[in-house]
Amino acid sequence: MQNIELTKRAETVNELLARYGVKFGIYKNNEFKEQLFPFDTIPRIIRKDEFAYLERGLKQRVMALNCFIRDIYGEKKIIRDKIVPEEFVYISSGYLAPCDGVLPPRGVYTHIAGIDLVQGRNDEWYVLEDNLRVPSGASYPMIAREICRRSSPVTFETYHVEDNRYYAKLLRRTMDYVNTGGHTVILTPGRYNAAYFEHSYFAEKTGAHLATGSELMVEDDYLYFVDYSGRREKVGAVYRRISDEYLDPMTFNEESVIGIPHIYDVYRKGHVALLNAPGNGVADDKGIYYFVPKMVRYYLGEEPILQNAPTYLPYYEEDMRYVLEHFDDLVLKDVAEAGGYGVVFADRMTARQKADFIALLKREPRRFIAQEVIDFKDIDIVENAKRVPRKADLRAFVLMADEPIVWKSGLTRFSRDPDSFIVNSSQGGGFKDTWVLSQ
Amino acid sequence: MGIISVENLDRLFWLGRYSERVYTSARLFADSFDRMIDVDMENYAAFCRQLDIPNIYSSREDFCDRYISDENDPNSIYSNLMRAYDNAIVLRNEIGSEPITYIQLSVYDMKKSKVSRAPLVGLQKVEDNILAFWGIVDDMIEDENIRNVIKIGKRIERLDLYGRLQMNRESIVREVHRLVGRIARTNLHYDEKNLEELKKLAEEEQIDYDRIVALVDTLRKD
Repeated sequence: MQNIELTKRAETVNELLARYGVKFGIYKNNEFKEQLFPFDTIPRIIRKDEFAYLERGLKQRVMALNCFIRDIYGEKKIIRDKIVPEEFVYISSGYLAPCDGVLPPRGVYTHIAGIDLVQGRNDEWYVLEDNLRVPSGASYPMIAREICRRSSPVTFETYHVEDNRYYAKLLRRTMDYVNTGGHTVILTPGRYNAAYFEHSYFAEKTGAHLATGSELMVEDDYLYFVDYSGRREKVGAVYRRISDEYLDPMTFNEESVIGIPHIYDVYRKGHVALLNAPGNGVADDKGIYYFVPKMVRYYLGEEPILQNAPTYLPYYEEDMRYVLEHFDDLVLKDVAEAGGYGVVFADRMTARQKADFIALLKREPRRFIAQEVIDFKDIDIVENAKRVPRKADLRAFVLMADEPIVWKSGLTRFSRDPDSFIVNSSQGGGFKDTWVLSQ
Repeated sequence: MGIISVENLDRLFWLGRYSERVYTSARLFADSFDRMIDVDMENYAAFCRQLDIPNIYSSREDFCDRYISDENDPNSIYSNLMRAYDNAIVLRNEIGSEPITYIQLSVYDMKKSKVSRAPLVGLQKVEDNILAFWGIVDDMIEDENIRNVIKIGKRIERLDLYGRLQMNRESIVREVHRLVGRIARTNLHYDEKNLEELKKLAEEEQIDYDRIVALVDTLRKD
């Protein structure tokens, strides 16, 4: 598929993306800037049978993760059975004590999961990270597809590609499934959030109301949207795009000015659904990631379909020995960091940096995981009118209502720097559409 | 109107005001610019006086540069356009993506006109985009009250500008009638006494421009 007509329409596509303001926000030197998200027209193409395999694996993984969160804030069997050490759970910054014993509407925690995968040169897929809090990015391939179809209809006549624009319906269905009765709201921190475009775009496409914390209030154990006339409208589901700690200053970070006081009490009483459930961070902690294949076996009694990147926990003596012996071959990740930050490749450190890092690792072994550097399969992008290979990952989205559904697309992010594995938009990465072939 | 917060009601109103301010000030600038080519090089001073904005400009060139595109000049067309943009970008839920694109396109065209020696060509595109924005507001926004709030913002701004510029009587009367006919169809709080007085003023032979500006500025109650 070297000659996809769409790739000749890059200028038109990018003009239209600019017209529709497909941007993300970034803070540089304490100043907010909006940037266009660089788009490359060469799609990532996934064969139908290959996607079917990913779909099975992703469903399985998200079901196991949902079981894990329910268990951790419920019976804690997995700890009692010594599958996951309790210190990994309770010292995780994502573990939230106020969530203990709270069952969300219909028992769903992982409503919208973003699972980051990479494909190795051996064509094997590896899960790099599970994002179960507020994974973002689905809006970009969704609007890009709309624009690509407009720019090059012949491409979509020629290739049989699953239409990905049903994501909004999928999201609406997910929100409606857990709605406790009332309006559906997308809660945004506001205009100056990096993903504000996505928040407002999803509100428009799903028909939900976009709101900031100041537009919502709690009274008598219910959540209300207050309109311009002072009228109150009950809210039954909140797809919140703000992190747990800022959600409710009365329960979590008391300094939060973007949250809604007492919303967590409403949730605890079952009077509103929060998507995703607060406390999910315990399951997408980089340290807990190591245990996901074990969760699949434990909760589902199945062998994991998708594999993790080979990962070591320096917390375990045996793994620490391995990490020290193979230090130069590994990538080390700080479990508390995200967005591509806190990731270091050992072979790029100076001798002094290595010594300092190893000392830190020995002092705080729980803080890091180490992974083998996967030899990513590169994906071509067009740069200065030439095709050049770049590292890329795939964020697959799994939406959970009565059952998990995998969106037949995904966000393919690539590094624009030929020497970098970091694909995050906040660090200069771009994105591609992800085609799942229907035939 | 569907559920809409007081903040967003206010933003709709100001989106109307700023889009009008951009449109009318771009047109006025075009007249003034034309005069400054070869008739009256100092015309910008009169322009500032008329619009009641401080004349902070050192020359015709300085005025042409900064009044169009200086982001640090709060009275520049660019600053007003960015205020329209700031309001529009948070109203996707109320007005939809398509209308926002015309404000976005205005921003791009304004940036292009910044570097041009013939700025009216770029400004013409900005005006075209604003006209298209108003057209699409009418065509695509189903909610009548949302449309009306934007239009009331536009009408109030236009009357304010026309009053300051002491436009001819016909223009003032037309704008007062448009405003009066629409404001009662919104859920905005407004001062009915001021509105009545405005209607009476429009019937007078001699237009009291200062009073019109004062009434318009206090017409909307928060």
